[in-house]
Amino acid sequence: MVLVLALGDLHIPHRAPDLPAKFKSMLVPGKIQHIICTGNLCIKEVHDYLKTLCPDLHIARGEYDEDSRYPETKTITIGQFKVGLCHGHQVIPWGDLDSLAMLQRQLDVDILVTGHTHQFTAYKHEGGVVINPGSATGAHSSITYDVNPSFILMDIDGLRVVVYVYELIDGEVKVDKIDFKKTTATTAN
Amino acid sequence: MMAGVAEDEEKWLAAGIAGLQQNAFYMHRAMDSNNLRDALKYSAQMLSELRTSKLSPHKYYELYMRAFDELRKVEIFFKEETQRGCSVVDLYELVQHAGNILPRLYLLCTVGSVYIKSKEAPAKDILKDLVEMCRGIQHPLRGLFLRSYLSQVSRDKLPDIGSEYEGDADTIMDAVEFVLQNFTEMNKLWVRMQHQGPAREKERREKERSELRDLVGKNLHVLSQIEGVDLDLYKETVLPRVLEQVVNCKDDIAQHYLMDCIIQVFPDEYHLQTLEILLDVFPQLQPSVDIKTVLSQLMERLSNYAALSAEALPEFLQVEAFSKLNNAIGKVIEAQADMPVFGAVTLYSSLLKFSLHVHPDRLDYADQVLGSCVKQLSGRGKIEDSKATKQIVALLSAPLEKYNNVVTALKLSNYPRVLEYLDNETNKVMASVVIQSVMKNNTRITTAEKVEALFELIKGLIKDLDGTAHDEVDEEDFKEEQNSVARLIQMLHNDDPEEMFKIISAVRKHILSGGSKRLPFTVPPLVFSSLKLVRQLQGQEENPFGDEAATTPKKIFQLLNQIIEALANIPVPDLALRLYLQCAEAANDCDLEPVAYEFFTQAYILYEEEISDSKAQITAIHLIIGTLQRMHVFGVENRDTLTHKATGYSAKLLKKPDQCRAVYACSHLFWVDDQDNMKDGERVLLCLKRALRIANAAQQMSNVTRGTTGSVTLFVEILNKYLYFFEKGNPQITVAAIQSLIEVITCEMQSDTSAADPTADAFFASTLRYIQFQKQKGGAAGEKYGPIKV
Amino acid sequence: MNFLIGAFKPPCNVSITFADGRTRKQVSLKRDNGQTIMVPLFQSQESIMGEVVVEPFQGKKLEHTGVKIELLGQIELYFDKGNFYDFTSLVRELDVPGELYERKTYPFEFSTVEMPYESYNGINVRLRYILKVTISRNIVSDIVDSQDFVVRNYTPLPSINNSIKMEVGIEDCLHIEFEYGKSKVHLKDVIIGKIYFLLVRIKIKSMELEIRRRESTGSGPNTYVETETLAKYELMDGAPVRGESIPVRLFLSPYELTPTYRNINNKFSVKYYLNLVLVDEEDRRYFKQQEITVYRLLETP
Repeated sequence: MVLVLALGDLHIPHRAPDLPAKFKSMLVPGKIQHIICTGNLCIKEVHDYLKTLCPDLHIARGEYDEDSRYPETKTITIGQFKVGLCHGHQVIPWGDLDSLAMLQRQLDVDILVTGHTHQFTAYKHEGGVVINPGSATGAHSSITYDVNPSFILMDIDGLRVVVYVYELIDGEVKVDKIDFKKTTATTAN
Repeated sequence: MMAGVAEDEEKWLAAGIAGLQQNAFYMHRAMDSNNLRDALKYSAQMLSELRTSKLSPHKYYELYMRAFDELRKVEIFFKEETQRGCSVVDLYELVQHAGNILPRLYLLCTVGSVYIKSKEAPAKDILKDLVEMCRGIQHPLRGLFLRSYLSQVSRDKLPDIGSEYEGDADTIMDAVEFVLQNFTEMNKLWVRMQHQGPAREKERREKERSELRDLVGKNLHVLSQIEGVDLDLYKETVLPRVLEQVVNCKDDIAQHYLMDCIIQVFPDEYHLQTLEILLDVFPQLQPSVDIKTVLSQLMERLSNYAALSAEALPEFLQVEAFSKLNNAIGKVIEAQADMPVFGAVTLYSSLLKFSLHVHPDRLDYADQVLGSCVKQLSGRGKIEDSKATKQIVALLSAPLEKYNNVVTALKLSNYPRVLEYLDNETNKVMASVVIQSVMKNNTRITTAEKVEALFELIKGLIKDLDGTAHDEVDEEDFKEEQNSVARLIQMLHNDDPEEMFKIISAVRKHILSGGSKRLPFTVPPLVFSSLKLVRQLQGQEENPFGDEAATTPKKIFQLLNQIIEALANIPVPDLALRLYLQCAEAANDCDLEPVAYEFFTQAYILYEEEISDSKAQITAIHLIIGTLQRMHVFGVENRDTLTHKATGYSAKLLKKPDQCRAVYACSHLFWVDDQDNMKDGERVLLCLKRALRIANAAQQMSNVTRGTTGSVTLFVEILNKYLYFFEKGNPQITVAAIQSLIEVITCEMQSDTSAADPTADAFFASTLRYIQFQKQKGGAAGEKYGPIKV
Repeated sequence: MNFLIGAFKPPCNVSITFADGRTRKQVSLKRDNGQTIMVPLFQSQESIMGEVVVEPFQGKKLEHTGVKIELLGQIELYFDKGNFYDFTSLVRELDVPGELYERKTYPFEFSTVEMPYESYNGINVRLRYILKVTISRNIVSDIVDSQDFVVRNYTPLPSINNSIKMEVGIEDCLHIEFEYGKSKVHLKDVIIGKIYFLLVRIKIKSMELEIRRRESTGSGPNTYVETETLAKYELMDGAPVRGESIPVRLFLSPYELTPTYRNINNKFSVKYYLNLVLVDEEDRRYFKQQEITVYRLLETP
């Protein structure tokens, strides 16, 4: 069993002062094995903070990130799963599922994690999942106006992944769960 | 040499102990055989060891403690003697026959103890005699120990109220009088130590004195334990007498210690009720006394007292504790002309803490303290003493810590005036403290007025203060500071658009004065904050009959234009371009075509004139296309101009693959799924074909330069775009076109010259798999995909 | 001598007894040979009565030319050895000349005897009272026997008893004022007083109070003066500062004092002084002596 934290579009300090306190108290060091971040942190302090939660930190570059060394896309293998990571501003039209599916085919991954829209989404399709963890700070976006802060935790166990969505709605954290099973036939490297 | 002295001292102590033990031995023998005469003789000889002048206080104490233990036995013996028929009065006389005064007085105190217990005479008379006779010892060290012994044996025999030794009327006065007298004499002896011996040993003497101070202070402790010392007695007799001694002794060590002692041992309630008397003394103390520490201690105690007992609060008001303290501090500073700034600030810092704890509702008090502090600081210029600076930071931090709300501090008119006296560096530190307070407590600043006040407090971070050299600032620190300002801007918010607009205007005014180094940090948060307001307003119908001055998106956009322009002028083109595009999108949503167009124009100008890095260009192009794709406000003409330009930029990127990708991305500009008037299938196809041409050119270029054809990835990508529009129902995308593209790719991949690319292979494979999947899906999609053969 | 005495042993025993010998108070008296014996105590104006018993030895005849008893008050100056000045001399004839064959008892009485001076045992002088029995004989020496007794005279509380108060000092150096409660003290009295330090510019180490006795004998060029320190009593330890006052409380009872004797029969005087001594750190001594009058207080039971 592996716990993966996926989050992004924090936009600190341009659009939000910090992660919500409720999230901070939930995210404690030592529980999470990997962090995948869709970018737009935007500053080093946030990077350092995430690093304290878990040293295995993967970041794709958002258009506001001060650190320009983050890659545009990245693939990581976690257990039986291949996970692709991209901020998403490169995929036009933004947030378009069919276009994201193309990126997923291009990266040849089971799970594609992208951001940019600040809207949590999770789609299952022909044997793959496309996930957007939303904005962990609830940062304002021109695509999504009223944004609830959200992030996801993926519990990867064998061929099964359970995606927990944490969303802060009116000061309360709501948790949702999505199950996904991989059929062995797909990408077996 | 010092070691030599210490060694000698050890020897002397050992000799003293030996002499003491030897005489104690004979004394015990005499006592065992009830031989009073010999017992007296040997006890006097034993006590003679205490007549030594050779020991330091520390060693003398060791000797004293041994004698003390023996004296307990002597006391028991005396008691038994009286039971055997010897009158205690006779004993009291008998011990006074001893020729040496020190042994005589120790024995007298010992018999005195028995005498009081026998109740053959009133305790007060005996105590009075004892304390008077002890005057015979004028040697400081020996006198202090003797009187300490007296204090020790008499503690439980004072004619206190409720005590078994309580006498007639006013008996309590006798008890108090006795302790006060012993205290006074002890203090005199203690102070006298300072003036004896050579001047070069001053330091050692002060050390020795500090070792002895608790002997003196013990008396105050005894006074505080006397049951009968109620507030009245304390106020009328005890405190004035003690203070009289404190003032008159004119010794800084004693004054500091005793004032501290008074504050520690007597109840806070008493301090409160005698505040005036107590405070009057401070200006009379020696200039070298560390008054600030003592007075701060007092204020701290009173604060804690107020915190612990709510019922005490009316007392504080009744005695006007605050104004008395405030006055006292003023007088102390006046009296101690040489007091460093540090001292004065410490005092005010303590007073402020007092006021905040005791009178949290009286902000005017807090402001008054700050005002007094300003008065002290005025004319001194910037403070350079680091200790003083630290105290000012503490002073200014106190209200923030107390109220957990910077808004309260903003009401303190003197707050920024105190800040004036800090050096630039500390001003920044203070500004950070303010910001941290806001962030920690999640404080919302809700009016422009407060924003103005807040920016006054943090101006050290907002702009260059006079005399700051830029190169002194550490890059990392600077970033951190400015990021904290950016965070702070998020906290300035009001749901009322009018007020929010005022806030934004106020912030704009301040940050624009920050200079080119700060703008990249401060502009984005303000822009996003403003855009939020735009979002809030965009849903509302514009009221043509509304107030002229009412806040409208248009007004905000004007403001935004200026702000971003400032950023562009630095220049920071990448960031400015992104912000322009954000604004354009917001204007689009407000149906303000000219405004949106203007923002796009600004973005394009930046792209053309300022962004030259190819990597930056790629990101910029993606953002331009991505944004433009979402615009619906433009009429045909404007839209054509903008899309034409965007496609043009795409085709001019440096690398062929980047050109290719940008160009096929442009295809989306002509086909917006949910807009029926935005489905120009032909131009989509044109774009894709153009992309194919570029892909081909890339292949050929690769062939020429490397001898192998490049990857087929670009073809597969374009294939996917074909499939996308095919699915969306673009009639220009035909099965045949798709089929031929698949064949081209298959052919390329089998060619000898093609470079092996597993990623591309996988991509192609998964694309084919996708087609397969769609074919099998059945329904409309299945029907559509049916003819495609893979 | 003993041998000679043994050889010419007197032919009788002579003993002198006091009428109230069993009840009268006895006090110790140091004899010439250093022995201390208990003798009866009298005061002036008392009657001294008793018996003299003469008992010849078995079968011996005692021929005498008369028997008498004398009461003598003598002053003996040691530097004038052998000379006794009798200031009092009373005689009672007990028997006319005759022969004694057996024990004979003679009662005697000296009524209301004037004994103005107290017995005193000094360094250079002794004042003593004796009863002396003389059996006069022809040819052979007289038989003499004597019995000491002690006289002490009591004084009532003096009606006037001024305190001693005095300011002394060395200019710009040391100024003190001392005060003793009374100038006349009795033998069991307590000296109460205070020493005030008005100016202290020297480093004083300690202060003590001494009781000194001054015995002067003789007169003119033959005056002999002896001074003894009977008491050294530490009053203060350490260096006082200006304004300090130090209490004095000295019990006289532990010391062997006599009353003050002034010009006793023009032969001698005994006077007492309080001597206040200040010692500085260099062991220099500063002192001031004040006479006190010592008297024997009539003890009221």
